Amino acid sequence: MIEVNKIYHSFEIGKKEKKTVIPVLKDVSFQINKGEIVSIVGKSGSGKSTLLNIISGFIKPTEGEVKINNQTVTELSEGEFASFRLQHIGFIFQNFQLIPSMTAFQNVELPLTFKGMNEKERKQKTLETLERVGLAEFKDHYPSELSGGQQQRVSIARALVVNPPLILADEPTGSLDSDTEKSLLAFIKQLNEELGITFLIITHDEEVAEFGHRTIEIVDGHVLEEVAK
Amino acid sequence: MTFKDQFKFVRQNLKKNKSRLFMTVLATAIGVAFLIVLASVGFGLHKSIISDMMQNQLVTQVEIYGKEDSQGLTNEDITYFEEMEGVEAVTRRNELAQMPFFHLDDYTSNTNAIVTHFPSEIKADFKLASGRLPEGENEVVVGYHFTESLIKNGANPEKLYDDEGNINEDYVYTDDLLNKEMDMEVIKLTDGKETKKTISVKIVGIAEKPARDWAYEEHVFISEEILQEVEQFTGVMRGATEMYEGGELDANQSEEVYDYVKVYANNVQEVEGINKTLEDKGYMIYSIANEMKQINVIFLIMKIGLIFIGTIALIIASIGIYNTMTMAVTERAPDIGIMKAIGAHPRTIKNIFLLESTYIGLLGAIFGTIVAYGVSFLVNLSVPFIIQTAFDEAAPEGLLLSYIPWSLTLISVGICLLVTVFSGLRPAKRATKVDVLKAMRREL
Repeated sequence: MIEVNKIYHSFEIGKKEKKTVIPVLKDVSFQINKGEIVSIVGKSGSGKSTLLNIISGFIKPTEGEVKINNQTVTELSEGEFASFRLQHIGFIFQNFQLIPSMTAFQNVELPLTFKGMNEKERKQKTLETLERVGLAEFKDHYPSELSGGQQQRVSIARALVVNPPLILADEPTGSLDSDTEKSLLAFIKQLNEELGITFLIITHDEEVAEFGHRTIEIVDGHVLEEVAK
Repeated sequence: MTFKDQFKFVRQNLKKNKSRLFMTVLATAIGVAFLIVLASVGFGLHKSIISDMMQNQLVTQVEIYGKEDSQGLTNEDITYFEEMEGVEAVTRRNELAQMPFFHLDDYTSNTNAIVTHFPSEIKADFKLASGRLPEGENEVVVGYHFTESLIKNGANPEKLYDDEGNINEDYVYTDDLLNKEMDMEVIKLTDGKETKKTISVKIVGIAEKPARDWAYEEHVFISEEILQEVEQFTGVMRGATEMYEGGELDANQSEEVYDYVKVYANNVQEVEGINKTLEDKGYMIYSIANEMKQINVIFLIMKIGLIFIGTIALIIASIGIYNTMTMAVTERAPDIGIMKAIGAHPRTIKNIFLLESTYIGLLGAIFGTIVAYGVSFLVNLSVPFIIQTAFDEAAPEGLLLSYIPWSLTLISVGICLLVTVFSGLRPAKRATKVDVLKAMRREL
């Protein structure tokens, strides 16, 4: 599903003469199979978020390539990657990243709008997805009127609505209390089992790390070890 | 993303800051209204001048005064004109070389007789106030003011006119002229001796009132048959009272020359070709179409100048749109970041912002146009009143200070949309460059 091959990435800090290059990822390679739930763990500053952003196409690696569904995504232009994301990748963010001026329904509907789906079909699909995450009755609520757990469910609904084979999650439980976290993880498990969606989860939470099929640990920009369960 | 969805999205976004939207639309509307009203003065004056010029003249009419190196226009020329492509009719008129007396009942008029070729006048659509054009021999048409030349026989010359210079009421002919018989009296002088001849004519039509108030038409339009009768009596061409050199009537009248010749084209498009052919052949012509061409060029330059000045106002308004759009991009950067993250194509983002600036421009154009039509109406309504008050005289008839044709509205709306789209381009491009990660971290 995902192939990460010899990824190197470094940031440049400072201006011309005083420019400092800080290496973040060094020779990172791993594979994630279809239907797996894989957690990437690591301390703050270890490079795990940078790795996720490279896989997501938000930043280009200094070296190396990423393949998703046999497509070398690191070669895609910004526009091509945007279209690719719309078809193949769902996102769950730590801060939910919902558009505050839109209702839960509108937020979930947005990716389908970008796809150009007709209105009737779009509304039906959005409602079904909101029902799946148990938020149909909150569809007209704005994000500020929902709890953290509910917002994260809206965010999951938005990721699910385009039926992506892959969901990338960046600290999905980071803003949730432990009860909500448990129910969210259970829901992710359910989606994985029922729909066969592959999950790549970035976390520093041990409980989340334990919950997946496999854990990849990043230390100082290297893949330290892969723990299969 | 479909256009309909983009449009709904834009409307939703614009509702978030209504006061800012209102102010931007207002500035654009003022710009558009200014542009239209300013240019409408050029269009209005142009229209007023052209309609004034055309009051007496048809655009399809070409007057021919003569030919270089030639005595005058002869029948040969007339035949040439009639055979030209695109010519509908060729009218020719001559003045009788003497001023006959016309006796109608108890009244007499001493006025000009115009020899007219009626078949061609019918083709050229000779306008009548009443009656018809002559069909039979000895039928005539009189000028609109003919009655004013009729004076009661035996009138006291001292009492003929009142203090204001008008004919005394008692001497004015008040009866209907149509179908009245009158006697046309012509004279000839032989060795200083005067002989008179009377030809009975019937008035069958009265010519239309001249378009200009100051124009006076008292003359009588007679047929070429009547002229022949006069010429046979006088023995001199055009019925001159005395013989002059070369004026002796010859049997074929081949040397007949015409005073007034007018060529009428089938339609306006043919006029330019006819003018060119005639000029190339050495004819001296006057055509309103030629004059209008020059006037049109002058007014075209004036209109372009006014539209250019008006566009400056729109450019100033577009700075407001640029500002509004830049603020919108900055404020919505986090939303743009999220949209890009979940798969919005940069082109979609660009289109949304371009559509937003176009929408503002369109609203401004619509309101601006409505305001401009209102202002134009008020200007036209108040100008005659202002002239009356300030100069104590009536405004020129048909004066139109401001006129907004559809073309001006379309040009102005077009310029407005162009300017607004242009001012939205940079902010829209900036929106596509929003960094997803920074935007989602609210660092923008």
